[in-house]
Amino acid sequence: MISESHIGRSYPPTPPYVVSAAKVAEFAAALGERDNPHYAGADAVAPPTFAVVLSSAAWRAMFDDPELELSLSRTVHTDQRFAWRRPLRVGDAVTASLTIEKFRARGSSAFITVVVGLDADGERVCDATSTLLHTWPDAPGEDA
Amino acid sequence: MTTLEVGTELPSITTSFTRATLVRYAGASTDFNPIHWSERKAHEVGLPTVIAHGMLTMGTALRVVTDAVGDPARVLSYYVRFTRPVPVEDTDDGSTVTFSGTVTKVADGVATIALQALFGDTRVLGAATAEVRL
Repeated sequence: MISESHIGRSYPPTPPYVVSAAKVAEFAAALGERDNPHYAGADAVAPPTFAVVLSSAAWRAMFDDPELELSLSRTVHTDQRFAWRRPLRVGDAVTASLTIEKFRARGSSAFITVVVGLDADGERVCDATSTLLHTWPDAPGEDA
Repeated sequence: MTTLEVGTELPSITTSFTRATLVRYAGASTDFNPIHWSERKAHEVGLPTVIAHGMLTMGTALRVVTDAVGDPARVLSYYVRFTRPVPVEDTDDGSTVTFSGTVTKVADGVATIALQALFGDTRVLGAATAEVRL
């Protein structure tokens, strides 16, 4: 099961994801954007929080790590931070790699902080930091 | 374009999240967690009804900032705590959320903006803060 000993564990980057004009337009529309010209056309940038499409894809490697005994369906997203060096742009080939940054147990639950670094063509463009609250079923020693 | 000075209140946005909004965001974001579209699955985890994606609320709140500054490339950082979910019943009107922002600090070419998201009287985002390049 995940513990403090896993702080610092990293996973290989996700396969490159190429940002498309169609996906940027779709994401902007889903946020209720109507006419922001920055999100339209072949040289569009993505809405800033589009980074979550890439960062959440990188979570999978951690949830698939059998040693940690984590399940996405038992996880609540409690906070989110993004730090951008530049926006994601149409045509960027983006990889995302996750590192476990913090772990704090609380009874049968744990707060797990993960940092996902997004790289476009080898250049760091965004760090996405998420705190996840995970709860195990029927965990022994529940006293919190 | 809004001038960013300490105390500047950015134009607020009031929008409605319907089940259609949630389905559209699920597809766009690839977050297909069923608690955002299935009443049955939401009940299974103890929720009274379907809830909006926290990231939909976070992303919509940032429109207050990007509408004010124009170029989204000026956004340097953004943080939120997901304090309360936005429940979304299967109605035509959906759930109305109001987003607003106030400049709290200007220093070293960076403006800090505190954002609020209100569903009725409930604050659904906590400590929501964006930093933008001036």
